[in-house]
Amino acid sequence: MKWKVFFASATGKYHLTSNIPCQDAGHFVVMGDVLIGAVCDGAGSASQGQAGADFFARTVTELIAESVKAKELVPGAQPEYREQLRALIERARARLGEIAASQELELRDFSCTLVGCISSPEEGCLFHIGDGFAVYLRDTGESVVSQPENGEYADQTYFVTDKDWQEHLRVTQFREVNRGGLIGLMSDGASPFAINRMRTGFYRPFIDPVATFLSSATEQNGNQALQKVLEDEKTHAITTDDKTLLLALAS
Amino acid sequence: MSTVIPDVALIDNSDERAPLVLVLDCSGSMQEDNKITLLNEGLKTLASELKNDPIAARCGRVLVISFGGDSNVEMMGDWTDAMDFTPPALVAGGLTPLGAAMRCALDEIESQKSQMRAAGVSYKRPIIMLLSDGEPTDEWRQVATECMSAETAHKVNVMPIGIGNQANKDVLAAFSNKGALNLSGLKFKELFIWLSRSIQAVSRATTGGTVQLNPVDSWAQMQT
Repeated sequence: MKWKVFFASATGKYHLTSNIPCQDAGHFVVMGDVLIGAVCDGAGSASQGQAGADFFARTVTELIAESVKAKELVPGAQPEYREQLRALIERARARLGEIAASQELELRDFSCTLVGCISSPEEGCLFHIGDGFAVYLRDTGESVVSQPENGEYADQTYFVTDKDWQEHLRVTQFREVNRGGLIGLMSDGASPFAINRMRTGFYRPFIDPVATFLSSATEQNGNQALQKVLEDEKTHAITTDDKTLLLALAS
Repeated sequence: MSTVIPDVALIDNSDERAPLVLVLDCSGSMQEDNKITLLNEGLKTLASELKNDPIAARCGRVLVISFGGDSNVEMMGDWTDAMDFTPPALVAGGLTPLGAAMRCALDEIESQKSQMRAAGVSYKRPIIMLLSDGEPTDEWRQVATECMSAETAHKVNVMPIGIGNQANKDVLAAFSNKGALNLSGLKFKELFIWLSRSIQAVSRATTGGTVQLNPVDSWAQMQT
């Protein structure tokens, strides 16, 4: 089985008009038939939210990849992911803590959410702190979904940089990834149009044409096309937020 | 290779949709008194009024069905989001197959509902607005009864409206439990502004609640 991964990220109107860069970031690694990916959304209220998002997406993905290479983490025969993910995220936090201290900043200045996945043909997991969505859509049409966790109010969420982050780390494991399966990771700006109203999976009139196109596209064309979708004028009428979408097709 | 993905739906799924079907008489008599032109202008007003309201633009789903010609019922394009609604240019001529047009409206609503359900989109009670200036030239009684029962079952709201003196008010009234109204003069513009306001109100209403629509006195002929 092969992974074909596409990634696009578009700055929302709120940041476009106020000349603030996109606060979302994403990163992925494919090692043979193992996919590792993460999308982070920097908190608007944090001065270094964008740097935080970029750091965590990259570092968490790379740390997992190293762990897989060292066979400490074995996707395909991993009974449980939570403890190892917790330890790897803790390492990423510690690294950023040092960088923050050297700049006389604190970890919370880099606040961001984290939504990611690890997947092999046999099994995998979605991992999640805060808002955004992760979806594994099986070729049969069934979905495994990791939903956003919001605070009391819809615009309140949890960050990987929070002191009590471990209480908000959610891991959703799944078995068996077949050809035709699709894994999506997204920031909360993309979910109003990419996720169905019941929040049980992708909004099919959105994802089906996208997946059909991507399945026969080159990486470059696919990324460009996905970028155009996220930058479509219609998305601005839906959300003023940054929109990031990572889509991995199993073939 | 193209980098444009065709047919991607970009809608806000956190909204509930408000479906509207316009069933419009395009029979020969609509040519008289400039009615068809005024109707076309009214549709343009509806389109711009819906687009000017951000919530109605996102929530509204519009389908136009015309009837006329050689007993033709025609869907003027597919269902569209109000923000993308381009009014068709209607042409008048021919017969008045009102029954077949209403049958098409009921069927379209059911299939649109099941599509929305399958897509995980929820929706408000659909509205069918029927505009006619004459007598049906086909069988209409059976479908009128079905419209009444669909209303009773809270499946749809039917608004039959007569245009001018030749409209058969008794026939139109048979399509809704609330009876029919008559357009005062040819106030198509006022009618469609009112309709747009109604869609705005429906879009904002909570699910299951009742919606208080604006009074119709801007366009309806009052009983004397």
